[in-house]
Amino acid sequence: MLRTVKPKNARSKRVLDARAPKEVEGPRTAVFVKGTHTGEVLNNVMKELMALKRPNAISFSKKNAIHPFDDNTDSLQSVEFWAGKNDASMFVFGHSTKKRPDGLTFIRLYHGRVFDMIEVGVDKFDSMTDFKTPKATPGHKPLMHFASDLFDSHPRFMQLKSMLLDLFNSEAIDSICLPGIEHVISVSLSPTPASLNTANSAPDGARDTTKPEELPKVHIRTFTVKLLASGTRIPRVELTPMGPFLDLSLRRFREADPEMLKQAMKRPKVTKQDVEKGLGQKKKNMEVDEMGDLRGRIHLGKQDLSKLQTRKMKGLKPGMDQEDGDSEEEEEEPRRKKNKTR
Amino acid sequence: MDVSDILASHAAKFQATTVEKDIHLDADPGCLAVSDLNPIDEESYNLNLEEHLQTLARDGTQVLINALFSLPTTSSPDGPLAQLPPPVFQLPRAKPLPKPKPPTKWELFAKAKGIQKKRKEKRVWDEEKQEWVNRWGKGGKNKQVEDQWITEVPHNAEVNFDPRKEARDERKVRIAKNEKQQQQNLARQANPRETRKREIERDLVQTRISTASMGRFDKQLEGEKKPHGIKRKFNPTEENAEDERKASLALLSKIESDAKKMRKDPQREDNIVNVRKAIRHASKGKGALAMAGKSDGKGNKRKGKR
Repeated sequence: MLRTVKPKNARSKRVLDARAPKEVEGPRTAVFVKGTHTGEVLNNVMKELMALKRPNAISFSKKNAIHPFDDNTDSLQSVEFWAGKNDASMFVFGHSTKKRPDGLTFIRLYHGRVFDMIEVGVDKFDSMTDFKTPKATPGHKPLMHFASDLFDSHPRFMQLKSMLLDLFNSEAIDSICLPGIEHVISVSLSPTPASLNTANSAPDGARDTTKPEELPKVHIRTFTVKLLASGTRIPRVELTPMGPFLDLSLRRFREADPEMLKQAMKRPKVTKQDVEKGLGQKKKNMEVDEMGDLRGRIHLGKQDLSKLQTRKMKGLKPGMDQEDGDSEEEEEEPRRKKNKTR
Repeated sequence: MDVSDILASHAAKFQATTVEKDIHLDADPGCLAVSDLNPIDEESYNLNLEEHLQTLARDGTQVLINALFSLPTTSSPDGPLAQLPPPVFQLPRAKPLPKPKPPTKWELFAKAKGIQKKRKEKRVWDEEKQEWVNRWGKGGKNKQVEDQWITEVPHNAEVNFDPRKEARDERKVRIAKNEKQQQQNLARQANPRETRKREIERDLVQTRISTASMGRFDKQLEGEKKPHGIKRKFNPTEENAEDERKASLALLSKIESDAKKMRKDPQREDNIVNVRKAIRHASKGKGALAMAGKSDGKGNKRKGKR
């Protein structure tokens, strides 16, 4: 942890306030770090993951000799230090060795300490530039799609799902602009091997020890979403490949400390009043205009137009159609008088 | 008339938006995610991987889009905004939950008495200047008497009466009082463990310099650090006799006084309203008994008036 400082001026106070814990958290900032050696593939993978993560991404340009899974080094201390300096709570660390080529490590932090880590190897990579298709606007929120039963049952894949969701969609939002949905990130697995099938499953603890080679591969695909008319309110979805396309295999991992997990999963208490008001729901018929004034709309019911007083004309009088033209002059006199007396 | 042909051609133009799967897809519109728990079909996976993945993703996205488009919407200049429900999938937090701020003595009192918080505007209307001025701060209303070019002096004022200084001193006293209350609040809210730790550290530093050589020729313990942030302060050799006398007398009275021994125990937090004071105030200094008698008397009076 960095030393806690008391702000000396308003600007630094604002910065510290922005970094202070909040009840509802914003998106996680991810730092992309390169290890001592990263090949061309890994460089491009990190560049494109960063393009998807923008604007909440920070890139470290220099190489850093850290080994997150090696307990003998103080790599995790470095990670924690960078996290404090950058107010980031997620790291994507790329490192390529002969033993583990093209390794990508996702590191998540809680309260400035390393929470959990997962390492994947990049087996195949297709860049965004390989597809001559339109790309999503940076900063737009992606949809996430996870396909396999293992994402709900196998601890390693549950961790991966949580990690990827946290990387791309960690911010809890209360509304989304429907035309702003532009791309989807699909995470899918290769067919579940027989050793992992639920039919002959071992208890969860034993499944955790399956060798990484036996685990199915992970396919990450990104597509842009095209919404077509379907004749109903709900549009028909068509996808076009956008890139990057990644084929990953799971490697080393570190699970979250149970005590830390318990702390991290705590939710703010929601007061009964907030629930009644409707959490995050817009108040109906109330809006703040450009001048900052609160304006309301009230419903008045249907107007009865039959009682509406329009311009008074002789011809429109109720008894007019029965009477003759002779009586017109007599009638006009008293009315004029009336007008004068008003 | 047979319209089946027209209907069929119409249906062909628009493709279906429903997705049929063995296990129902689980959309979580709160975090814009959908999970497909169906086992992966090995045949299509081996046949054409990319096509298989794209159809899988399309079906999942369709389910999520169905869920998103059926949510209640509000309009905005950029298009309809779907109101999302809270997310179902729970992600770990990045930072712990914020701790609630401990209440100040005034807040406790106001709560006990049911006093509502009133928000003061930062600016007030100045009748003379005919404009809005700050209540405090630069050109503030609270400095009006100090800043105005002419000030009325009361008849019985002393010769060297300075109305500006008087107003300024009054303001400074108010500020000092507020600061003192702030400090007291902080002290009340402080963790007793932390306070004790700081006290012990201070005592330790004091004992280390309380030898004949002021700690200079003491044996250094292993791992002992030099005390931090201590500076020696030398008073000037020549000093005003008056000041010296004052300082010495202050020191003497401090040694002689029993202030520390006589200090009362701090008031307990549970009875934030001073009952004795409240009774005195309500009965206008006559006491609780008088109050009981008075209420009877009041009742009689009212009857008389009617």
